[in-house]
Amino acid sequence: MSSPYLLHAEGIRKSFSGVPALLDGHLALRPGTVHALCGGNGAGKSTLLNILMGIIERDAGTVRMKGHEVTFNSPHAALKAGIAMISQELEPVPEMSVAENIYLGREPRTRLGLIDHRAMQRQTCELLASLELDLAPDAKLGNLSIADMQMVEIARAISQDAHIIIMDEPTSAIGERETELLFSAIGRLKQRGAGIIYVSHRMNELYRIADDYTIMRDGTFIESGAMADIDRHRLITTVLGKELDEEYAKFNRPGDNTLLEVDGYGRGSAFQQVSLHLKCGEILGIFGLMGSGRSEFLDALFGAAPADHGEARLEGSPYHPRHPGDAMRAGFAYVTEDRKGSGLVMDASIKRNVTLASIADVAHAGLINESRENLATRPFIDRLHIKASSVDMPVRQMSGGNQQKVVLAKWLQTNPRILMLDEPTRGVDVGAKREIYAFMSEFAQDDRAILMTSSEIPEVLGMSDRVLVFRKGRISGELSGSELTQENLVRLSS
Amino acid sequence: MNKLLAGLAISTLTAVTTTSSLAADPIRIGAATYGLQGEFMQLWSNALKDHPAVKSGDVEITVFDGRYDALVQSSQFDSMITRQYDAILFVPIDANACVGPVIQATTAGIPVVGSNTRCNTDQLAAFVGSDDVLAGQMVAEEVIDKVGDKGKVVIIEGPIGQSAQIDRAKGIDKVLAEHPDVKVLERRTANWSRAESLSLMENWLTAHRGEIDGVIAQNDEMAIGAIQAIQASGLSVDDISVAGVDGITDALKAVQKGQMATILQDATAQAQGALDVALAKLGKADELPQSDTWTRYPDLAWNNGASDTYNIPWTVVGNDNVESLLAQRQQ
Amino acid sequence: MSQSSSLTSSPVPKGKPSHNLASFMSDYGIVIAFIVLCVVLSVVSPYFLGVNNLLNVLRQVSINGVLAIGMTFVILTRGIDLSVGSVMAFSAMVAASFAGASADYGLILPILLGLGAGLVLGSINGLMVARFAIPPFVMTLGMLSMARGLTYIYSDGMPISSLSSHFLWLGQGMVAGIPVPVLLFATVFIIAWFTLRYTAFGRYVYAIGGNPTASRLSGINVRRITFSVYAISGILCGLAGLMIAARTSAALPQAGVAYELDAIAAVVIGGTSLAGGKGRIIGTLFGVLIIGVINNGLDLLGVSSFYQQLVKGAIIVIAVMLDRSRLTNA
Repeated sequence: MSSPYLLHAEGIRKSFSGVPALLDGHLALRPGTVHALCGGNGAGKSTLLNILMGIIERDAGTVRMKGHEVTFNSPHAALKAGIAMISQELEPVPEMSVAENIYLGREPRTRLGLIDHRAMQRQTCELLASLELDLAPDAKLGNLSIADMQMVEIARAISQDAHIIIMDEPTSAIGERETELLFSAIGRLKQRGAGIIYVSHRMNELYRIADDYTIMRDGTFIESGAMADIDRHRLITTVLGKELDEEYAKFNRPGDNTLLEVDGYGRGSAFQQVSLHLKCGEILGIFGLMGSGRSEFLDALFGAAPADHGEARLEGSPYHPRHPGDAMRAGFAYVTEDRKGSGLVMDASIKRNVTLASIADVAHAGLINESRENLATRPFIDRLHIKASSVDMPVRQMSGGNQQKVVLAKWLQTNPRILMLDEPTRGVDVGAKREIYAFMSEFAQDDRAILMTSSEIPEVLGMSDRVLVFRKGRISGELSGSELTQENLVRLSS
Repeated sequence: MNKLLAGLAISTLTAVTTTSSLAADPIRIGAATYGLQGEFMQLWSNALKDHPAVKSGDVEITVFDGRYDALVQSSQFDSMITRQYDAILFVPIDANACVGPVIQATTAGIPVVGSNTRCNTDQLAAFVGSDDVLAGQMVAEEVIDKVGDKGKVVIIEGPIGQSAQIDRAKGIDKVLAEHPDVKVLERRTANWSRAESLSLMENWLTAHRGEIDGVIAQNDEMAIGAIQAIQASGLSVDDISVAGVDGITDALKAVQKGQMATILQDATAQAQGALDVALAKLGKADELPQSDTWTRYPDLAWNNGASDTYNIPWTVVGNDNVESLLAQRQQ
Repeated sequence: MSQSSSLTSSPVPKGKPSHNLASFMSDYGIVIAFIVLCVVLSVVSPYFLGVNNLLNVLRQVSINGVLAIGMTFVILTRGIDLSVGSVMAFSAMVAASFAGASADYGLILPILLGLGAGLVLGSINGLMVARFAIPPFVMTLGMLSMARGLTYIYSDGMPISSLSSHFLWLGQGMVAGIPVPVLLFATVFIIAWFTLRYTAFGRYVYAIGGNPTASRLSGINVRRITFSVYAISGILCGLAGLMIAARTSAALPQAGVAYELDAIAAVVIGGTSLAGGKGRIIGTLFGVLIIGVINNGLDLLGVSSFYQQLVKGAIIVIAVMLDRSRLTNA
């Protein structure tokens, strides 16, 4: 019996400790196509993909590959059957080389059973060349940028001869150039008859490369069809299940008073000679590619890795943060780009994360007053529309967008005046993105201001009053008003 | 503080060397102990350093800490052979694992005199120690004499498989066989440890309330642990007779208080006697023996250091001799 | 705390039950395991449930209990303290040297010196780990050896006995029918439970174990907290040292060898994750009790100590296995 589908999943169901995460998962992947899997946070996409990859077991439903029913009980089994996944969380072995990572667990062997390093190097060279990647096969993975690591993951999946490749937010950590390389690699995979399941919150990407789409909401299959048959507006409203207002809800107005001045900031080779000023009520965008020094600059401004050159003044008074504590006392808050790595304590509850940076406010003489803690946390649940069963829910169980809102709540709880946001909407779904944008406008009022970095051009253009462009650790230009165009950003940043 | 610093400096070497700069060319003798953590081996190695030949500077003694590991002892033998010691005094941790090192040393022309613990080889130049089987017999007899032929006892053993445990158990079994009506309620190891024996005895006193008449412990530490358990549970040591082996200081004090009996193993005689024998094997017999071991035990024949085995007698410690033994210890 | 019932009224995504059997088991599984163990033992041994025996068990676990509580703090921060047995022995030796029956130092001085000795060595651990970033495993492995060496140097390898009766009271005395070591353990437990549950410090201990980077960026002084947990472990080693010297009426240089393993085992059985950030002191309490009850029960039954080792090891592995399955189901 033959099937028109490479992969066909129907009626997939899964509950965790009695809580349903997936009620009716459905996906039909045709060979030689890119299939966009769309849905908001908590729609059940990750659960479905994890079941397809054999990471978790399904409670009910069938999965067929080319007409044959299959069940994988480990990612290894899925891989052997030709399904590979490039996930949001990179899991490389940092101490090993590029080649060793790509061939991890299936190294070419010599006749004696030893690892054939030369063959491995050669095959890696060929593979990297076919992807037009400028990487040395023997470079240590830990020394690469996140973007390069991601490309190595992609190369690894391609090298596994997988004919079904799951890509979960593959571009969230890579820049424009790498994205282009990825898309051309996807094109070649399609030609070979492979099927790609593609998850991204970036609409532009979906319309560029996807052939088919499947929409899920609240753990249930809603509809699927050809990408050409659905317009942007209907896609978004179907994903969200409701009509949406304008995407970039921007209503802050910069004032005249200068809040922060930075003069000649620099640290080692990370960034040099950075000067800027931030006005009350302003959202100042910082645009730059991965590795342009923008995150390092924010680290310095927050005292996490203090600057060794230059000076800063806060409302005219000298500001020299040596520790994050100094910055916090001065009214800074810092939402880092890596939520899991440096934003949240994943196993702790919402409540504990929200009060993490401001325990003193809910404690007396070192003793935590839990009712005050609850009172402090609950307003944020409403204000930021955090979806949670209670403030005691561990943040690990939450979706990316809701986790990001918890990070915001943590910093709002400290009553900051300058909010620094590094990639504020990475891995966040469309609905939550809008809510975060609306919140940003609301925050940047009166004597408060926002410093935001982003590598998403529409976001930078949509939300910033002014934009500074970083290139190779220096400011390469400042744009405002009518100069704020995609062309200018790309020109100044590369 | 000085003591601390000096100790630190010394302990950076694996061995503690007692030396005299006066002697022109002293005889170098290595003392390989199974480990310096227990009181007995401390007494043993201190006695060596007090030997007249060491004090006069004629002999230089290096004490090695075997850290209760046969492998460690074996590598210490390697280095002693490399460094060409004149003779080795050996207290092995294991009666079988010691055979290899002894043959190696003997082949290299270094006589090895065993002391305290046995080694299952005929390659030893001599053995100077005490018979653990005999100790087992004596400690069992001490207890059974008091509890009578129909008494109920518990036995606390050393780490199962160690030579001393095996031999002392053999002696205990021999006595038990002669008294078939003595009932053994429990028999377990407490690994020579006071704290372990304390907990074990507490639990036994619960499980056999009012039944236990006597405690046969294979060493003193465990006997003392048992006494503390008896006292902690509100019972009197007058109702339960306890005996141990070795004659450590705490045990002597307990004997003094009438809480237990112990069988003294004479560390000084074992150590100094072994050194005398080793010197004899090296052909220095004319001025020997130098230690007072041989006058203290008139029944122990010196035989010019030519015997294969010197069994230092055990001494039952009782009211008559405990004061003088304690006085010796205080020095 | 009284507010917690009203919390579920905040925006809830469609009817998620906040409690069910699985979460109950993961919260109280260890308590259930302990109760089952006790029921089984009281059936097979008529002596088990006796008041005296239960007091014996408590007295026997109190030393490991005090060490395990310090260990819980350390493990919660992703650390480990392998030096507890040796530091305990050293503290015992220092305290005992000022607690002789003939010398007249009173009770306060030996207690302060014993606690102080533990605090100093624990602080060295903490300083090296927090300030100089020596991996905790390496640092405390080194301290395991160094503290043991110090103990031998300090004591010349000889035990110190003939301790004053005041001092012995710490290990052998009773207050209102309850052994003093049990009271000490209970006091330490309550303080530790309160600290982890209600203080900002306790919150930070969990936070830096859960995510040190996020904690640092949230303005928490990660170094100070890290230092403190090792200092706490050290001072508790000091207390355990006082207790063991008083219980065995002597400070023995070889005391406490391998005690770190029982302490770690109790923490792990109690459900605290070696990866840090997760676990509860109450779990450690039951971990300690389970180990103690197993030892006691098998003694009462006259089971060979070989089997005791086997059973204890199996329980550790099963406990971690349950912990794992809990993680993957989450």
